[in-house]
Amino acid sequence: MMPPMEYFSNLGFGAETIYSFVIIICSLMIYYGTRELYELSSYKGIKYFRQAFLFFSIAYFFRSSIKFVLDYFNKRNILDFSPGFGQFSLLFFMYFSSMAIFYLTYSLMWKRWNGNSKKIYLFHALAVIISVISILQRDNIVYFGMNLFLLVYAGLIFYISHQDQKGKKKKNNLYAIYGLLFVFWIFNVINILIPDFFQNIQLFIYLISLGIFLIILYKVLKKTGSD
Amino acid sequence: MVKRGKLEIIRDMLYIIKEESNLIKPTPLLRKSNISSARSKEYFSELIEKGFIRETTDKKREKFISLTDKGFKFLEKYRTIMDFIDEFEL
Repeated sequence: MMPPMEYFSNLGFGAETIYSFVIIICSLMIYYGTRELYELSSYKGIKYFRQAFLFFSIAYFFRSSIKFVLDYFNKRNILDFSPGFGQFSLLFFMYFSSMAIFYLTYSLMWKRWNGNSKKIYLFHALAVIISVISILQRDNIVYFGMNLFLLVYAGLIFYISHQDQKGKKKKNNLYAIYGLLFVFWIFNVINILIPDFFQNIQLFIYLISLGIFLIILYKVLKKTGSD
Repeated sequence: MVKRGKLEIIRDMLYIIKEESNLIKPTPLLRKSNISSARSKEYFSELIEKGFIRETTDKKREKFISLTDKGFKFLEKYRTIMDFIDEFEL
């Protein structure tokens, strides 16, 4: 009988496909489920929130492509498989995943930043830099450094945004959900950049990530009253 | 007095039109909106541009404002939009 840890680390195509499929569908449902609210209000916060989940869905598409190639051709690093395909898919995965994080934090902070939409170009530039570094530097320390930077940045934004909301009477578990979303998103990114790092807890990461996306989808559907 | 947000002002303007049996002249609408003349004209143009209201002229060449279907939809969904913004701290 296969030991549990080995079983968890060998999830196979089926589990990978279902995992990616569910998260892509959740993200797209959030994106399309909020379309009417945005079309009616043209509210920038809703726009950035929607963009974040559109970018999550695209990032997960590239992530699942990379995972498929790694598993199917039994490679440790996507850049070892085919320089062209590897660099292309990793570049896009890192760009879209960084932008998803930036858009979600921007949705919380845009009012504080006086609605200055030019800041978003700065985030695009930063996401491009992160994605280029990912393909040029094949160093685990650099990978950890980049992800630590994203985590610290997201943590700082949450802290500032949470402090702003403290005066409000309403209790909201949004920050706990977003916090978990970012931490487990970073785990998913590390899982691609350094495949062996989380091998033993891959199933755990997948289940928690699925749970987080499903909770956010539930909250969106509940609030939008989507059928 | 709490400062009204943009969406709230739009809701108020559309609500005034609806309450006037969906037909009101521009001047009373701008007066009842309770905002400065310059801003009310700005909002008025935006409402037309977004397709929330339409301007019609009768036989006496008098202008009237009425809500479009999209305008009614906005009023219907206003609470949902505000709840969503509140829920996700947007």
